[in-house]
Amino acid sequence: MSAAIELRGVWHMYPGSGRWALRDVSLEVAEGRILAVVGPNGSGKTTLLKIAGTLYRPTRGTLRLWGSDFWAVDGDERLRLRRLVVYVHEKPVLVRGTALHNVAYGLLLRGAPPEEALSRARRVLERMGAGELAGRERGQLSAGEAQLISILRAVAAEPRVLLLDEPTAHLDLEKRRRLASLIRELRGRGMGVVVATHDYLLARSIADEVVVVEEGRLKARGPPGEVLEV
Amino acid sequence: MAGEALEIAARSLAISGTATLLSSAWSVVLAYLLARSPRASRLLVPFLEALVGIPTVLVGLLLYLLLSSQGPLGMLRLLYTPRAIVVGQAILITPLITSVAYRVLTHSWSMYGELALALGAAERQAARLVFSESLPGLAAAVVMGFSRAFGELGVALMVGGNIRGYTRVITTAIALEVSRGEFGLALSLGAMLVAILVLVSLTLRFLGRLREQ
Repeated sequence: MSAAIELRGVWHMYPGSGRWALRDVSLEVAEGRILAVVGPNGSGKTTLLKIAGTLYRPTRGTLRLWGSDFWAVDGDERLRLRRLVVYVHEKPVLVRGTALHNVAYGLLLRGAPPEEALSRARRVLERMGAGELAGRERGQLSAGEAQLISILRAVAAEPRVLLLDEPTAHLDLEKRRRLASLIRELRGRGMGVVVATHDYLLARSIADEVVVVEEGRLKARGPPGEVLEV
Repeated sequence: MAGEALEIAARSLAISGTATLLSSAWSVVLAYLLARSPRASRLLVPFLEALVGIPTVLVGLLLYLLLSSQGPLGMLRLLYTPRAIVVGQAILITPLITSVAYRVLTHSWSMYGELALALGAAERQAARLVFSESLPGLAAAVVMGFSRAFGELGVALMVGGNIRGYTRVITTAIALEVSRGEFGLALSLGAMLVAILVLVSLTLRFLGRLREQ
């Protein structure tokens, strides 16, 4: 099993912060596996996912996507690689338009014809039992619905690795259950999924592997049954 | 007098409107570049913010020295023309529009720019989304710039010269009427200035709401 995403010796400091958000982190993410990243607030989980998702360039260290040094390749290749990984922020951000348009948005950015994008978006919404949200404008969605739409938008784009940052933060129990089921289904289709979460129950129930991040360092790594001892 | 007041108001609108459009064109681009470059913004933004309150008379004086017949740009023969006021007001409001637009675009980039990139957008697509979602904030920055340009006196007086029928704008007309002791007329002109500013602001708000719908 080759690594889809590989971080090597990654250190990261936000400009002007004066402190390391990540310290010497090395990590591999494979396709067809679910990796949970757990740790307290401010431990570096989001930074780790944003670096893996190509949103931040690490201060030190390398990010390899399918063997290529992401920040060393040229613009076209970088865009091709970027489209293989999608990061979903904890706080849902929706663009102007309906929920259906939002779910189709990633496909539209990738050049899909609008009719095809909307049709695929509708299928994704309906598979999650959220078809009734399709026509609602962003201002008419609750926080949980908006979070679900932002996750489905990423799923519809069909990346090879999906990075979910606190995906259950605004979801009720029923939506959590449906999300866990969706994540397992995505793994079954060969997608790699990384979930940064405080939700140890979710991590324990879906993850193949868990890493614990504390103060910017990886403290532990292994199967959920070993790492997440009660 | 009513006819002349309207003519002065129309000239004021044309001059300050042109200055605002001109300044917005470069200020918004500069703000975007700063929003995308944390290192440059740490150096430049405090400087720009400090210049937001620069006295209009100082900008007028500096421009007067540049444009006077003995100055380095004297050959352009711009002094005491409406174009000189346009240039002066455009320079005057650049720090204001840039610093407000910078805040708007920085916030918008952290939300929409990152979202677009995370979904596989090219930088150009991300920028388009950021500008589209920032329009209400950018419009507010432009309205602030217009208000400052429309209500300033120093530049218009020093490089415009308050020439009747040519460079006289509302603020220089008010100053003139006060110097003549015509306080009632000066107050009427002042009321007209405020009314125009409120009308411009309300119109933009209305257009913003229409767009949201």
